[in-house]
Amino acid sequence: MNKLRTGAFHTGMILLSLLWLGPVLWVVVMSTRSFDDIAAHGVGSLPRSFTLDTYRQAWTDGGELRALINSMLVTVPSVALSLGLAAMAAFALSRFRIPGRRTILLLMLAGNLLPPQILLIPVAKFSELTGLYDTLWALIAVQVGFGLGFYTFVLHGFMRDLPGEIQEAATIDGAGTAQIFTRVMLPLTRPALAALGALSFTWIFNDLLWAITVLRTDDNMPVTPALLALQGQFVSSWNVIAAGTVIAAVPTVAVFLRFQRHFVSGLALGAVK
Amino acid sequence: MSDFDPGRRRFLGHLGLAGLGALGASSFLSACASSASGPTTSNGSGAVTIQSNLSSPQAKAAMEKLIETFNAQGKGTASLNTIASETFRTQLPTYLTSANPPDLYTWYAGSVANDYASKNLLLDVSEVWKSLDDYPQSLRTLSTDASGKQIFVPMNNYWWGFFYRKSNFAKWGVQEPKTWTEFLALCETLKSKGVPPIGIGLGDTPWVASAWFDYLNIRINGAPFHRELLAGKQRFDDPKVKAVFTRWREALPYFDPKGKAYPFQEATTALLAGKTGMFLIGTFFADAAPKDALGDLDFFRFPIIDPAVPLAEEAPTDGFFASAKTANPTGTKALLSYLSGVEAQEAYVKASSGIVLPANPKAKASDSPLVVKGKAMLDEAKELTQFFNRDSSDALQPTADTALTKFIDKPDQIDAILREWQAGAEKVFKG
Repeated sequence: MNKLRTGAFHTGMILLSLLWLGPVLWVVVMSTRSFDDIAAHGVGSLPRSFTLDTYRQAWTDGGELRALINSMLVTVPSVALSLGLAAMAAFALSRFRIPGRRTILLLMLAGNLLPPQILLIPVAKFSELTGLYDTLWALIAVQVGFGLGFYTFVLHGFMRDLPGEIQEAATIDGAGTAQIFTRVMLPLTRPALAALGALSFTWIFNDLLWAITVLRTDDNMPVTPALLALQGQFVSSWNVIAAGTVIAAVPTVAVFLRFQRHFVSGLALGAVK
Repeated sequence: MSDFDPGRRRFLGHLGLAGLGALGASSFLSACASSASGPTTSNGSGAVTIQSNLSSPQAKAAMEKLIETFNAQGKGTASLNTIASETFRTQLPTYLTSANPPDLYTWYAGSVANDYASKNLLLDVSEVWKSLDDYPQSLRTLSTDASGKQIFVPMNNYWWGFFYRKSNFAKWGVQEPKTWTEFLALCETLKSKGVPPIGIGLGDTPWVASAWFDYLNIRINGAPFHRELLAGKQRFDDPKVKAVFTRWREALPYFDPKGKAYPFQEATTALLAGKTGMFLIGTFFADAAPKDALGDLDFFRFPIIDPAVPLAEEAPTDGFFASAKTANPTGTKALLSYLSGVEAQEAYVKASSGIVLPANPKAKASDSPLVVKGKAMLDEAKELTQFFNRDSSDALQPTADTALTKFIDKPDQIDAILREWQAGAEKVFKG
């Protein structure tokens, strides 16, 4: 009976993960097919050709290297800046009796409930007014601005639950507010920061909407619009796009694998005293 | 203080170090970013920027080559910006209305360009047209706005037609039809052989159906009525429009039933595999065909329905317009003159794989039999129309998509569909 249950569980899970991995596998297979193969048999057919030239095309003709550099130039500072600012805000809001702190927090959260689409035109016009339009700075500013509310909210929840005694002990040790923040609170918030870091990295790296709203020069475009630009007006080389997608997925996967450990340690934190 | 647990102290110390490490890393990274994103500020020099939606690899390479040649000539400098065509379409109004817009844009001729001109967003390029005397009058009219000045410079155009594989038509023993009756007879023959006669691809690309509406309308009611209808001067619930759908219904049983599900790119695959007989589509579809099938392709013109109606064909024209706010009008016009010249147009036609006809009458088109036949068809036409959205607006296109897909699904409800279409169109025109 027990064996049967285990067997059923495993079959079910294998089927489920196949369902999950199916589209990914499909993209990988498509990226190794030639254009004529896809044109003659359709995107859904079994592969009848094998080529890795698609990767070269995506890399050189599609300008993916430049796009990946742009993506990193936007994503890394955006993640660092927004998490840094959010951590400070969360620290202040959760640990000090700031008047109106609830309102501030709710206001930040409320900003997050606005659909970004209605802000596209104001953001485009504003970035133009400030002279940042079509620079990566504009994109960094937008990403930090839009991420801040949510990150603060999450970190606030996490920091509020940290035992007050640690802070008191540090105060007795002679630590000032800044020292408590950098040497006590930040290290203790590390699991939450790591989880949020991985999440925000994915969000910002995969963002398309803001990039095409505040940028217009192809040399400035991060990787998502660059992938879009591989599509022709009428006809697209799906194999090259698939290859480009595989390349573009590498950084996010790498970050996730790197931060996986932090997720686990984050879960285990507090379990063992 | 001395009785503090050393283990805990070490713990705090470690955490502190880690925190410092994290801070150090982040400041290092932002320093990296600030030094590297420095040069991305706009190029304030006199270079003319072209915002291009020609994002397919061949067309992009062709444009890059043209700009390289222009820069080498020393008459000015230009820089090319290729943006995904879908992004370009949605962002074009933002580009044009921004305080520091790009100078030159690839776009379509016709009412879409005139719309922007009526908002004073486009540069008057009449000066460029002074040297384009030999261009046909039809292109000049097309590039002229309501106030009589030229605002557009055409680069090339292409045609629509019923495409088919020569080898398949030979296998089935059928000929190109000339008239509507012959066309229906051909459909009947193909159907009896078990081949869905008319391919179409409406999933994701519902606008393909507009070609049927355009062609039936210009064959039955003529191009002037068609233009007036799309400009809001006629009504979609007019009996003349209903006549279009009465004809369409005659051909409707011969449509490939699978065509509603997939986009036209897959409809192309179906046509090439012999799963459909023919396909009313623009020449751009050939980009989706494997190279070895290209030689086997042929087409015939949309069959004549009423011989009394002057012959009109769809010939969407692509080209350039410039921003009225350009900081460098002289350079922009110099670039436009270069792009409309014989040398540039021939180079573009050669480098881009698409089947296109250069706008400059002196520039030689490709000499493949298909292109020769297409050019002859357009030369024979008394009138040229652009395409539904280009003759009206991108805002009116969705109303057509809704009405036409509904008609293909439920042809019985045509009266209600046309009433709804008229109501939808009125909203757009008032908009």
